[in-house]
Amino acid sequence: MINKIFYTILFLLAFSLAARLSAQENMNRNWDSEKIKGTRQLPYPLYHGFPYLTKNWMPGEIEFNSGEIVDSLNFRYSSYKDELVYFNQAINTQITIDKSDIKGFSFVDENGSHHIFRKFFYNDFMKGYHYFEVLSEGESDLLVYRKVNLNTVSPYKDERGVLTNMEYVPEYRYYFYTPEKGFTGVKPNQMGLVSKFVKTDQKLIRKLLRKNKISITDESGLVKAWKAIEKEGYKVVF
Amino acid sequence: MNMKNWILIFFLLAILCLDVNAQSKTGLGIYTDRDVYVSGETLLAKIYTPESNPSKIVYMDLVNQYGTRISGVPLETKNHQASGYLQLPDSLSSGIYQLRGYQKNTAEKVKIVREIWISNRFDGFEKNNPMKKLIGSESEPDSLTHQIKIDNLNPEYVAGTVIDADIQIEESILDKIDGNLLVAVAQTEPSFAPATFKVESSGTMEGLNEVKGMILSGTVTDKTSLQPIENSIVYLTIPDSVPGFQYYKTRTDGRFYFLINQYHVQVQAVIQCFGSTATQRLKIKLDELYAEPGTKPKYTKQAIPEALKANITRNIDVVTLQKIFSQEKLKVISAPAKKQETVPYYGKPTQTVDPQLFIDLPDFAEISRELLPGVKFRNYNNEPSIRVMNSSMQNFFEDPPLVLIDGIPIQNMNIIKSMGSSEIDRVDICQSERYYGDLRFPGVVAIYTSKADYSKIPESDQLIHIKLEVVQPPVILADPPASEPNIPDLRQVLYWNPSEIAQNKLSVKCIASSISGRYKLSVRARLKNGTIIYSEKQFEVK
Repeated sequence: MINKIFYTILFLLAFSLAARLSAQENMNRNWDSEKIKGTRQLPYPLYHGFPYLTKNWMPGEIEFNSGEIVDSLNFRYSSYKDELVYFNQAINTQITIDKSDIKGFSFVDENGSHHIFRKFFYNDFMKGYHYFEVLSEGESDLLVYRKVNLNTVSPYKDERGVLTNMEYVPEYRYYFYTPEKGFTGVKPNQMGLVSKFVKTDQKLIRKLLRKNKISITDESGLVKAWKAIEKEGYKVVF
Repeated sequence: MNMKNWILIFFLLAILCLDVNAQSKTGLGIYTDRDVYVSGETLLAKIYTPESNPSKIVYMDLVNQYGTRISGVPLETKNHQASGYLQLPDSLSSGIYQLRGYQKNTAEKVKIVREIWISNRFDGFEKNNPMKKLIGSESEPDSLTHQIKIDNLNPEYVAGTVIDADIQIEESILDKIDGNLLVAVAQTEPSFAPATFKVESSGTMEGLNEVKGMILSGTVTDKTSLQPIENSIVYLTIPDSVPGFQYYKTRTDGRFYFLINQYHVQVQAVIQCFGSTATQRLKIKLDELYAEPGTKPKYTKQAIPEALKANITRNIDVVTLQKIFSQEKLKVISAPAKKQETVPYYGKPTQTVDPQLFIDLPDFAEISRELLPGVKFRNYNNEPSIRVMNSSMQNFFEDPPLVLIDGIPIQNMNIIKSMGSSEIDRVDICQSERYYGDLRFPGVVAIYTSKADYSKIPESDQLIHIKLEVVQPPVILADPPASEPNIPDLRQVLYWNPSEIAQNKLSVKCIASSISGRYKLSVRARLKNGTIIYSEKQFEVK
């Protein structure tokens, strides 16, 4: 008898809960989410090298100018065209997202590295809005413009056996940036980095790098060196 | 039955009891600056919404004696409290009106109603003697508290002098106050005691929670079979120089939803859908934008007290003079800065053409041929068609482009075929395959008309024009007019702060206006248990 009462109570509670849930009108998930604007991405010519930053479509987060954040898309950054491309599964199409709508994006690549990109206005030879990867954030940000250029090379036969003389070549450019002073380029080697500081600091910075056993031979060395220099309070000259 | 089962039952019953208890304390309330108004005036109000309701939009409607909604405004709540204003139409006839507050998701279940008197500026109250008073079940009455004390308020002030009162809130109640206080100093009429009551019904269906903004919803059905249509694309356009646009693919039950959250002024919207075949005719039925009137309110007749008559007569003169001296009651604080779209949803145009800069052309076929690069508009056998060039592939798209008039999509090209240069302000052309969400546009031709009134697009079952009241921008009471000998200060509300931060000691400073009569300083707060408490003190301006 007691068991019967128990199960009746349980049944009534479950019924009450179900009634409360069904009283609220159901909605599709993300019905009010950002509708992404863009144009169809046309395939790039097949040359040696790689026009994208990542081999695969990576899940990540896109922040739009409207404040909306979309984190349910697979996309990849085209270093060749400086565009963000996503794959719309519903219509089976690769779409280049309008740059005017995007504030920034981030993703974790195949190697587990976290990449944060922000859109900046570059007021120099490549005047316009570009996506820069933020390597280090602080009083001055260390940015990299991950550009892949199409260069002319000695003729070769591509995968289809077609004779061609073009190749995708990464030509990354590094910059220090502050919103007030803008951009200043920096070469990813010791001399390039040290030259971005006042003469009186340069000797001390070299000493600091020696002391910390930091050699700048690649991007990670540059980031490590800059973090050590920034920690000591040295200021970049723009 | 073992111990475990008993514990389980106990917890389940406890949860159920807590839930029931939470629902009983609604904490719903609607308060106005005054109770007696003249048509053409601005009414100020604060609404408390239930803690349990996640919706952040509350609606304030003015309803007449017959239950008809006259006007209204949606307000955004912060910490389950909202404040705003309502412009009372000039044409209202004298009598009792209801000011209704509700949230759309629970409108079927509960609304709060406050009675107000509005006199027509031209016919006064003569036609309404005796007046009709509302009869309704009284809501949880507000509690008069002695823990909020009003000090240093004189019984009398001379017009133009400073009123400087103090409000003391006891520490014991300070922690129990939920959100901000409503502090007001305004004209009062003790002979008119307005009724405030909750209208409750046993509605079962709850609407959507308006958490991010107002929601516009409806259903698409087949006009012939009356069956709901699944996967029909419904478009919402807010025509403008940079048009607003949304779309929704209907669910299996034909339902669609749009979120309206980017606008702070009244907007015109167009909702439309297209049949999947040329012969299919659809019908859009929008859900009610506002709560149903519900059961007709009951009234009892009462003679208008002499004091109220005198108050009305004086206020009609005051409002007339306010209009003459253009004394504004409110000052709008700029609406929250929201990023305005600079690029239309169809993307940055490849070309923008202003046909009026060129020789006058009689129709769109001529305009497209002479002025619009990459647009092919043909009218063979009176069957107009349009195609746009794909600039990257250097050929024309096989499918027709997205054609817009003032931002509104059209499929019937007969609408544009007769448009000449004089009717067109500009044409935006996109010569690429554009995407918006899952929608594909093989090129875009966006025509903006000189009149910008989209009168070319007729209303039908598949296309509805609506005027949307959108969330009001925040306002504050306007400063008193500059003191000049020949210009009277005609304010009836001397102080209004619906967002006063609760603290031990508060100071209320304002200037007595030139309008003599009885005034009231009132302080109102909602406690965390849902009870609304108040303290008030009257004084006279001579």
